[in-house]
Amino acid sequence: MGEAQKNLDRELEFHGISRREFIKYCAATAAVLGLSELELTTKIAHALEAAAKKPPVIWLEGQDCAGCTISFTGALNPPAASIILDKLSIRYHETIMAAAGHLSESVYHDTVKQGGYVLIVEGSIPSTDDRFCMMGGRPFREIVEEAAKKAAAIIAVGACATYGGIPAAGPTKGIGLDKALPGKAVINLSTCPVHTDHLVGTILYFLSTGKVPPLDEIGRPKAYFEQSIHDNCRRRSYFDEDTFLKDWNDPTQRDWCLYEKGCKGPDTYSDCAIRRWNDGINFCIDCGAGCQACASPDFYAGMTPLYTAESERSQNIMARKKAGLIPKKEKV
Amino acid sequence: MGKKIVIDPVTRIEGHLKIEVEIENGKVKDAWSSGTMARGVEALLKGKDPRDAPFVTSRICGVCYSVHQLTSARALDEAFGAKVPWGGTLLRNLAMGAQYIYDHVLHFYHLSALDYIDIMAVANYKGKDKGLLAVKDKIVGLVKVKDTFPLTPRYKPDEFCVKDPDMVISAVKHYIDALSTHAKARNMGAIFGGRTPHYQSIVVGGFTQYPDINMVARFRTMLDEQAKFVNEVYIPDVLAFGTGPLFPLAKMGLGGGHYNYISYGGLEKDPAGKDMVFPPGVIIGLDPKNIKIQPFDQKKITESVKYAWYKQDEPQHPYNGKQEFDLEQKKAYSFVKAPRYDGLPMEAGPLARMLITKNSTFLGLVKKGVKPGAVARHAARAIETKLVVDACYKWCDDLLDAMTKPGFKIHDTEHWEPPNNGMGAGFYEAPRGALGHWIKIKDKKIDNYQAVVPSTWNASPRCEKKYRGQYEESLIGVPVPDPDNPINVVRVIRSFDPCLACAIHLIDPKTNEIRKFIVE
Repeated sequence: MGEAQKNLDRELEFHGISRREFIKYCAATAAVLGLSELELTTKIAHALEAAAKKPPVIWLEGQDCAGCTISFTGALNPPAASIILDKLSIRYHETIMAAAGHLSESVYHDTVKQGGYVLIVEGSIPSTDDRFCMMGGRPFREIVEEAAKKAAAIIAVGACATYGGIPAAGPTKGIGLDKALPGKAVINLSTCPVHTDHLVGTILYFLSTGKVPPLDEIGRPKAYFEQSIHDNCRRRSYFDEDTFLKDWNDPTQRDWCLYEKGCKGPDTYSDCAIRRWNDGINFCIDCGAGCQACASPDFYAGMTPLYTAESERSQNIMARKKAGLIPKKEKV
Repeated sequence: MGKKIVIDPVTRIEGHLKIEVEIENGKVKDAWSSGTMARGVEALLKGKDPRDAPFVTSRICGVCYSVHQLTSARALDEAFGAKVPWGGTLLRNLAMGAQYIYDHVLHFYHLSALDYIDIMAVANYKGKDKGLLAVKDKIVGLVKVKDTFPLTPRYKPDEFCVKDPDMVISAVKHYIDALSTHAKARNMGAIFGGRTPHYQSIVVGGFTQYPDINMVARFRTMLDEQAKFVNEVYIPDVLAFGTGPLFPLAKMGLGGGHYNYISYGGLEKDPAGKDMVFPPGVIIGLDPKNIKIQPFDQKKITESVKYAWYKQDEPQHPYNGKQEFDLEQKKAYSFVKAPRYDGLPMEAGPLARMLITKNSTFLGLVKKGVKPGAVARHAARAIETKLVVDACYKWCDDLLDAMTKPGFKIHDTEHWEPPNNGMGAGFYEAPRGALGHWIKIKDKKIDNYQAVVPSTWNASPRCEKKYRGQYEESLIGVPVPDPDNPINVVRVIRSFDPCLACAIHLIDPKTNEIRKFIVE
């Protein structure tokens, strides 16, 4: 058994994970990211070998709600503790770090000076006035621009940091990194909040290959955002037949299409319907609430009103359906 | 004039907070708290379909998402005239229960514990427990390669920091274990909530997830694991620390504040809402030996803007609250308004709830000499987590019972369409304390939306009577022997579990401007 494998086994024991669970996770991740299973396991094992080489991370929070941070701490496979302590060297993260005040600021400055870190940004940047978001007495915008310069990779997490999200609809006109860092290569992990697996998978991919995963035209990893929610929706045949849920109390309607309750699944690209959320326990459409297209660049402004079919988005979906532009699913 | 120190950012809290304190003779003489971020969540709701509000206000905070969604839905319930069926209430409560459990565990281990332990003491562990030795190897390994982020840098451990290797190493082990446990509690909530953070299934009139017995069984199985952690790890840890090495801090009553407490009441145990896990009530000027509870009357809530950047006005009830900024006010130093009850500043949160509930376990600690303050807040938070766990079991039983009866309902479908005009208020107890949402509807659209959140109560600035807010008052007299190491200040502030994204969600609708925090 090689040194890397021994280290891996020791790590798994520390986190109480069976080797089998780990391999299972690696297999799933590898498949999604287009790597061979052996390639990925070996690479992760090697990445674990030298703790000293853990890549430094700066995680900045702007106009955020900390929901993406909470989503990140929810990682179970591999567990967040393993990512925080073993795989990354988290130099700056306001919600996690021990340091406060000038101590935290000094770590930030040292890391930026050194360069070569992974920059993760959560929350939008106010575009109407810098003073809507200040950190340590400085505009958040300045801090993001500064931190982006020497970053080895930049990941925008959640709807706000990618394309503006809910703050974009407000008077501060929050913007995402697409507008705040024009021309910079940014990995966009939209959805509100970021999906745990999307973030962990992207980090692991970067750690194992040193590369950015293949992205779509708006900077999102294709592996996660290529498919439409609608194509994989288990309510889809009801959409095809115009059978829409009217009453949440009626168990016979439980699986009917949620279009009339405002579901925007036919226009949303993310793998939620296959991957689901919270370790596969549930997700928005299965709980009867519908998809509000939080993975889309024009979320939230483009989706309101959320719970009827009156939004422009919903009207557009129906018009395309009637024009035969949303093909019916083949009956199996 | 004493020495002024600024802690910006205060980390391991939700949101952006800056604390400034004046120190004289090694103690805090005066204090100011200020939030440094705004998004305008209430402002962007104006003109929207009222049913958007629970979804959008959930995003006020990604930590306490479900309670904003729920309180917003309750405000809408009143405005729409909707009567939530018992099934809907039970599902809302189960989703909320999971939120409480995850939130309190996360707060103790991940946001607070590092202030009370000298983590490097794990190196002195001499025991033979395999799991603990793995923790020792891990931390020592990180030290060897000189990469202990994010556990360092930190404030220097002071005389109150726990240095006993056995206690510290088990606390660090629990810090690591709790990362997974809290995530599983959130997964448990997602069984009904749809997903976390940000549930999807709480809407005006009730709930969208039609339950089946498998879901209830799954929830209960996951609840068993949470109950085990809360009863066998979380509560014993907090009590062992609070009555052991931290007893001097507990006895000192570090971070006591005004000794006024408020609870709006929340988590119904019966369809009439008469029996609640957390009953409403108010305590003015606590006497621990003779606790007097006044009934809570929402009409007595006002918000003062005397020291906040708003157009000057008399204190107003939230229904009539205006959101016009006046950024030129020289005396103002915060975007947080100052809510007062009968003119007085109050503390909201677990400590308030355990006093108002007259919880016997908690009062037992008070008898032993634990004074209301930072340590007591951690104890109250742990003790009430068990109350929520127990209630979740009861709600599972009640739900199974309700599901098997004819006419089982989860939603008031007849009141799904917005009224032409209306107004409503929603009250609840969030993990961090008393939460209220107020809505006015005009022509089926939101005309005005206002939220007064727990951290507004606790983090408020001074009011027209110059009473300090609760954070500020609780910092008075706090020992800071070394101004470069204000560890007691962050202990006090973090004991409230601040949620600043919640407290600051207003902006100037006219100028869209925000001013820097300036202390004269």
